[in-house]
Amino acid sequence: MNQEFHPEQIKQLLNRSLARLDQPVLARLRDARTEALARYDAHSTVPAFAWIGFGTSHRHAADSHHKFWAAIVLLVALLFSCTAYWHHTTDHEVSDVDIAILTDDLPIEVYVD
Amino acid sequence: MVRFRFSVLAICTTLLLQASLAVAAPHQLWTQLTPVQQEALQPLSTQWDSLTPKLQKNLLHAAKRYPKLTPEEKQRFQSRLETWSKLTPEQRKRAREKFSAFSKVPPEQRQQVKQMVRQQEASKAAASGAAPSTPEH
Repeated sequence: MNQEFHPEQIKQLLNRSLARLDQPVLARLRDARTEALARYDAHSTVPAFAWIGFGTSHRHAADSHHKFWAAIVLLVALLFSCTAYWHHTTDHEVSDVDIAILTDDLPIEVYVD
Repeated sequence: MVRFRFSVLAICTTLLLQASLAVAAPHQLWTQLTPVQQEALQPLSTQWDSLTPKLQKNLLHAAKRYPKLTPEEKQRFQSRLETWSKLTPEQRKRAREKFSAFSKVPPEQRQQVKQMVRQQEASKAAASGAAPSTPEH
């Protein structure tokens, strides 16, 4: 019994044993594996940006509405930034023209209908 | 989930509120202006408070450039402020469009037009019996 087993031999032994297992035993092992995997999924780390859709897989499909709302927030923020920038630029352009008219060497009446 | 949606709605509302505030310029009283702004906009001191916020905003933008103007430009700026403020928004818009279009005319042609306008002004002044206005340069 002091026979030493090589890892490859152990693997073969296990495979042979597995082939001899009964169907009920195999079914129980399959169930246990499925249950363990489910527990692993529940406790697995969710990627940092998963809530906005990055790094998610099919198991996070239920969070698709999060992606929708996140997209809405980003869109509103983008629109707000664009609007503010546009107003800022336009105001400066308008005031540049205003001061040019007010200091031009032609009288203001030339430009007024 | 409800908290998340509520937060999103709150953020959206805040952003939209800020956007609307940015678009709507606040009305400013004459007494709230800085001394530099008051100096630049002095001819409008009596009617400043009755000007529309939009016009006030435009004039305050223009007033920022006032300290850098030459004395002659400062004089022109102040002498035209009242007329400018009495124009309708549409007239000011048209004036800006005309000015921008005129700026794109080649310099030689622009000079010719300016010369013509000055001559017309001088003729008008002579016809009305008043002394011709100082040529502006």
